[in-house]
This record gives sequence, structure tokens and C-alpha cells, in this order.
Amino acid sequence: MTVTIAIVAVALIIAIVVIAYVRRPRQDAGVTSFRRHIDALSPESRRAVMDRVRPSYEPDADVDSQETTD
Amino acid sequence: MARDLAIDLGTANTLVYMKGRGIVLNEPSVIALNRQTGEVLATGREAWQMIGRTPGYIVAVRPLRGGAITDFEITERMIRLLLQRVGVSRFTRPKVVICVPSAITEVERRAVTDAARRAGAADAQLIEQPMAAAIGADLPIDEPVGNMVIDIGGGTSETAVISLGGIVALEAVRVGSFDIDAAIQAYVRREHGIAIGERTAEEVKVAIGSADPADDENQAEVRGRDLMSGLPKTVVLTPEEIRLAIDDVISSITSSVVRCLSKAPPELAQDFLVRGMYLVGGGGLLRGLAQRIERETQVPVKMSTMPLEAVVMGAGHCIEHYDALKNMFMGARR
Repeated sequence: MTVTIAIVAVALIIAIVVIAYVRRPRQDAGVTSFRRHIDALSPESRRAVMDRVRPSYEPDADVDSQETTD
Repeated sequence: MARDLAIDLGTANTLVYMKGRGIVLNEPSVIALNRQTGEVLATGREAWQMIGRTPGYIVAVRPLRGGAITDFEITERMIRLLLQRVGVSRFTRPKVVICVPSAITEVERRAVTDAARRAGAADAQLIEQPMAAAIGADLPIDEPVGNMVIDIGGGTSETAVISLGGIVALEAVRVGSFDIDAAIQAYVRREHGIAIGERTAEEVKVAIGSADPADDENQAEVRGRDLMSGLPKTVVLTPEEIRLAIDDVISSITSSVVRCLSKAPPELAQDFLVRGMYLVGGGGLLRGLAQRIERETQVPVKMSTMPLEAVVMGAGHCIEHYDALKNMFMGARR
């Protein structure tokens, strides 16, 4: 009985330690996320959208030039 | 599987960017309905041409005012029809990023996301217009420098200082191009005694409207209805008259820019003197506006290369890099 309780207690402690380790905030998570965010805003990253819109899109001269946009 | 979309849901125009394709739709935010049956008769450009020219049973309306939804049901129907036009069906539900003015309330925000979800979007995220405009105007917002963008739309004018991918200072007023049109309508009614429509006022603004005097100015003939006799009448308007008519609106916009400048940290404020401020949005196309803002703030003002499309291009970039940029969405930061 005592042995069973001891095994369960040890297993519980190990589980708690493992969960705490897995769920702890990683030191570099913020840095990685911020770096990714900034990289996604770089001019090189934006080039694809700019190139996609500029050559293909020409607004209509008649109506759109008189309409404003928000 | 539907391609994800970015939508600039403007008071004046709605633009849709499709992931991997570019801008696929640019239409006025107008819907025409049968007043008796509630049936949709036209949307976009076709509905815009009906404004002020409809028989009694048809109503052509703009369901957004000041960047916010004024009629939820009509907006939802308009978004649904626009999404259908770009290939969205009940079986293909895309993720959608929608640009909204930063000044809208929590309730108004929820109205936009609910309208988009009910119109067929699997997920709807919101992004502030000045942030999207700065991305679309190709400003170096990834650097630790002050970038200032002034977005003048149909119903709102927003000024933002952006650095390192985030908004540092923001100032927004619910004043835009439609207020300029309304000021022209009111002036013509008051000073010349004739009533003109919304579209005529807009045509006057485009033809001779200006915020600052210029060398090559012309007069414009305007036709309307005489308020006394009820008969059609023509009057000649001068650019000086229009400047006087719209001065309150322009002052409101420039004051908001000044307030935003005064909120900016000093380290960033010095960048504006070198880099200037960028003007985007249809309202920014008003003649002399850049010069007027420049004169009142003593900071150079530059026009964005694609002022009408900058906002949707910025949102389009966010949909292309959805995971990396999801921290920019309005819900993510609040």
C-alpha cells in the first residue's frame, strides 16, 4: 500500500514537473515572435503585394477618379 | 477552398484584395433596394449611378457613414453580394481582414465582424486603416523611425505615427470627403438659393475644389433647383467660394494632424522633418490639401503613389502574412 502511494506520488511529481517545464514561457518566444512580425513588414516582404497590384490594377478613369475612398 | 480576402470597407468605396491575386474588386459602397419588397436591385457602381435619380419605390443608399455601419442588415447584404462577386459561396468560406477606422466603437467593430461572418467569411479580423495605409504606402514601418500617415477617407480622417510595426500616436476625426461635399451643398443653398445633389457637389469639388489657392484655377457652372421658384437654375461658382465653403472641414482635418504631431515622442518628431508625412485616401486628392497641411504644420507632406489603393494593399499584405502579422489585428491587442 505504502509502495503504491509512493509510486503514485512520484508519478504525480514527475507529471507536474514535466507540465511546468513544457508550459513555462520560453525566454526567446517574444524575441522570435517580434522578429517574425518585423520581418513580415520589411520592404522585401511587401514587394510581392506591391508588384502584384501595380502592374495589374488600373482604376477606371470615369467613375473611380471622382469617387473618394475610405 | 476559398482564397482569403482583405477588404477596405470604406464609406465611399469598397475594395477587395484576394490572396495571391491582387485587387479583384473596387466599387462604390452603395446598394439600391426596392423600398416595398426589400429586394436588392443593384450594388456598387450601378447603384452609385442611381443616387438622387431614383423613382419613389427605389432607394440607393450608402450603408456606412463615418466608417461605421449605419444599417446592419443592408451592410450584410452588400458584403454578401460583393463576396459572391469575387467567388465566395456557402461552401468556400475565406478568412477575411477588414480595414476599419480606428475611431469606431467596440459595438461598431462587432457589427463589422458580424456582418462579414454572416455574409460568408469563416473568420473576420479588423485592422486600423492608418496602419494598413502605412503598410500599403510602402513606408519603412519595420524600422525604429517615425513614419507619419494621414488617411483622409469619405467619412473619417486619421493621422498616425508608426514605428517598429506599431502605432505610437493616433488622432482621428469623423470628418472626410463627404463632409466637404455636404459643405458645398450647404453653401450653394445658403448663398445662391439653389439646391444641388450629393453627386453634383462632388463634381464641383473635383472640378474646382481646393484647400489652398493655386495658379491655374477655373470657375464652374452648377445647375440645380431654385429654392424660391422651383425651376432649374444655373450659377457660376469660383474656387474662392468653394475654399470658403469647405474651410471648417479642412481646418478640422489640419487641427487633427497638428494634435497627432503634438502627441508624437520628440525622438520620432524630428524624423518627420526629414522624412515628411504621407497623404493617402481619396480625400487627400483634394487640390492644395498637401500644401495647406504643410503650411500649417511646417512639415513636408508627400502624396502616396497609390492613395486610393494603399489601405487595401496594406490589408492584403496582412492576409498574405496572416500568422506573422496577426498581432496587428484589433482584437489581438485589446
